[in-house]
Amino acid sequence: MKRIRIMGLVALGTAASLALGACSESGGKKAEEAATAGGPPLTIAMITHSGPGDAFWDIVQKGAQAAAAKHNAKFLYSADPDGGKQAQLVQSAIDKKVDGIIVTFAKPDALKDVVGRAVAAKIPVVSINSGADVSAQYGAIAHFGQDETVAGEAAGRELAEIGAKKALCVIHEQGNVGLEDRCAGAKKTFGGEMQNLFVQGTNMPQVKSSITAKLQSDKSIDGVLTLNAAVAATAVDSVKESGSSAKVATFDLNKDLVRLMKEGSVQFAVDQQPYLQGYEAVDALWLYKTNGNTLGGGRPVLTGPAIVTKDAAAQIEAYANRGTR
Amino acid sequence: MGQAVADPSPKVAGGDERLAQRSLARRLLSRPELGALLGAVVVFVFFSVVADAFLRAESFSTVLYAASTFGIMAVGVSLLMIGGEFDLSAGVMVTTSALVAALVSYQLTLNLWVGVAISFVVTLALGFLNGLLYVKTGLPSFIITLATFFMLAGANLGVTKAVTGNVASDSVRDMDGFSSARAVFASQLDIGGVSVNITVFWWLLLVAVATWILLRTRIGNWIFAVGGAPASARAVGVPVDRTKIGLFMGVAFCAWLSGMHLVFAFATVQSGEGVGNEFFYIICAVIGGCLLTGGYGSAVGAAIGAFIFGMTNKGIVYAEWNPDWFKFFLGAMLLLATVVNLVVRRRMEQSR
Amino acid sequence: MSERVPLVRLDGVGKNYGNIIALRDVSLEVHAGEVACVLGDNGAGKSTLIKIIAGLHRHDTGTYEVQGEPVVFESPRDALDRGIATVYQDLAVVPLMPVWRNFFLGSEKRKAWGMLDVDFMRRTTKAELLRMGIDLRDVDQPIGTLSGGERQCVAIARAVYFGAKVLILDEPTAALGVKQAGVVLRYIVQARERGLGVVFITHNPHHAYPVGDRFLILNRGRVLGYHTKDEITREDLTSLMAGGAELQQLAHELESTSRTVAEELTE
Repeated sequence: MKRIRIMGLVALGTAASLALGACSESGGKKAEEAATAGGPPLTIAMITHSGPGDAFWDIVQKGAQAAAAKHNAKFLYSADPDGGKQAQLVQSAIDKKVDGIIVTFAKPDALKDVVGRAVAAKIPVVSINSGADVSAQYGAIAHFGQDETVAGEAAGRELAEIGAKKALCVIHEQGNVGLEDRCAGAKKTFGGEMQNLFVQGTNMPQVKSSITAKLQSDKSIDGVLTLNAAVAATAVDSVKESGSSAKVATFDLNKDLVRLMKEGSVQFAVDQQPYLQGYEAVDALWLYKTNGNTLGGGRPVLTGPAIVTKDAAAQIEAYANRGTR
Repeated sequence: MGQAVADPSPKVAGGDERLAQRSLARRLLSRPELGALLGAVVVFVFFSVVADAFLRAESFSTVLYAASTFGIMAVGVSLLMIGGEFDLSAGVMVTTSALVAALVSYQLTLNLWVGVAISFVVTLALGFLNGLLYVKTGLPSFIITLATFFMLAGANLGVTKAVTGNVASDSVRDMDGFSSARAVFASQLDIGGVSVNITVFWWLLLVAVATWILLRTRIGNWIFAVGGAPASARAVGVPVDRTKIGLFMGVAFCAWLSGMHLVFAFATVQSGEGVGNEFFYIICAVIGGCLLTGGYGSAVGAAIGAFIFGMTNKGIVYAEWNPDWFKFFLGAMLLLATVVNLVVRRRMEQSR
Repeated sequence: MSERVPLVRLDGVGKNYGNIIALRDVSLEVHAGEVACVLGDNGAGKSTLIKIIAGLHRHDTGTYEVQGEPVVFESPRDALDRGIATVYQDLAVVPLMPVWRNFFLGSEKRKAWGMLDVDFMRRTTKAELLRMGIDLRDVDQPIGTLSGGERQCVAIARAVYFGAKVLILDEPTAALGVKQAGVVLRYIVQARERGLGVVFITHNPHHAYPVGDRFLILNRGRVLGYHTKDEITREDLTSLMAGGAELQQLAHELESTSRTVAEELTE
């Protein structure tokens, strides 16, 4: 089966080169067609601040890969949580003379210079996820992301709507500005009382025992807002274990969470649609390179918050199962 | 010279009773875990005063659970440290062990107990490999296990991604054997109306077994010897290499037990987990009186170290302190515990 | 005396490391109930000689007999099985471990289920040390808290207890003060009285002469002299050690003498 396919490809390739060989090598109708159909394959590099094995960034990559496949572009991914090292990765993308760079401004100052060099080298830059406020200023042509404060505000409103009066905001990575903004936003619109709880996201038993401890020490807590899907699933266990009646809501999605929402253990999820961030970024670079388009008019394009509730959960289950929601 | 040979024994029989008494008190003081025990009492009293919820039975059960998840690993790690070595791969090895069980069972649609058994073999093999590399190369275990740490962290992610297409294992919640394995590795037991996680009992059992091995078996003698003076141990016929390999496999066994808890408590395993935990295990062992240079320490001490760590970790939550300062308080508490430990040890050495 | 079969007999033994001749044509007999002293300055070949006897190295020339039987040892374990035990100066004990654990290290006494017979080992340790004149009030104290001489003695007592017929003592008095050296020398005499053959390596003729029955003096891998006690006086031995030496060696002697004095003063 596989061999036949390879033979087919070889045959196709031979036919194509024969056809090309017989024609003029420049100008003409062919050249015009090539330009509109995408021209030579683009190489697009994405450099994020993700740590290894992060489910969120996995989905971003899948979105970017899907867009790259559609446009016949080559997609390169690299990441480092350390700002300085992330900057080095951007520099190596510039050195490779890629056609476009997608970057996250989690640590804007560390990346300012190197992004400036990319712009100077006439490589278009698109920013995603974090850094909406500096994106245009640093010379990026577009930004796709979620305003964390806006998302937090949406979560706070929704949490109040499902009847919570005293809630917990579980931060799984201390010192992460985006996570702090979510909790701050939620606190603003929630109305009731909201406290932050720090847990060590790389150690699930510790996450579980910390949330349990908190729920035990304060029985009046009736809402738990977690900031990623894995912590949400653990929070559900903690609620059961501590005998609390708190309702659990979360940011981000995965298939386990969709199941939890269907069975009613998790009330809602605030999705910032990471797939969209990856997909749109590659798409925007392709449009810019092939048609000179820009999106957003210099302002960030928001990919979230999209609130997913029990009903919607059933609908997107299939997508979550394949790891794109 | 002749005078030296004729030198009469300075020990006088008349002082024997007094000496016996002093030796009893000193024997108590010379236990490596005494300082840690006092540190634990200080931390316990402290949180009992500042946090109302801390003394409730169910809160204490939560503290014990937190302590046990560190403590199980600290048992293996402390024995290894007494044997003079470090294992920096211990943290991610837990995740590896959990991933092996979850991925193998799910992908091949096997009963979960088969996955548990395969994970057991694979994890012990990893421990064996750590030990073998150490013995064969003679490089410091710090370097060897740093290398395996990186390799395992990479393999955890790489294999999971390749096999599942995602960065976490698929949920094994509804597979055969889940409920029985959960009963063994992650269930809640009712003890006098308070539900206690089974890991607490695994932990206590491991500490008891490790203590027995250390103090009452030949292997224990060898562990102290290979950590204290490997060349001397080799000179009197102790199988130094085999002992060290065994110690690395002991850590692997603990990693397997912790890994199985991870699988059956959470059903899915995040492939990036576990990084950084290796230092907490070492910290538990050190608080408990293990020397960083090897040859001295105890499993009970490491257990107390884990208990201090669990109390601090959860006590801060019960005390409802400003979470922005969480890590500061964590550090301060650990400093308090270790300083008490140090002061006690100094006193003890002076009294000698 | 020479009709008896010696426990250990070396005849014309030599050893080369590559093209360096470490030891050439050395002969030595060790009888039961005798102390054979091997004297020589640093680099004389003393450690090469004991490594051959202890089974760490194999000799290149000559013969090595144990109780009349020619042997070629593959490892120290082989030598141990023949009753030849070596006590190294710096490798004697594990300092942080209790005395009794050190005493039985590597040859632990066990009861059922692999349990250590702790009582037996404590009692035996105390008794064995007492037999040699060391009265410890507590065999549970870390052996590192004992004096250097006592530590050497524990190691020697251990070798004797576990059936050594020949004891090789590698510079047991080298790092010790006068009093501590005395403790060890007394113990060497005790071992001799119990019928063991002792090979006592030292560079100090004043330590060797009172306890030794035979003296082998080495210099730069060659035999400088091999005498029984009735053939040589302490003065001869001392001058033999110093006489063949160059000025540099003499300076070294003076230096070590002044060190001994300094140690005496600090005690």
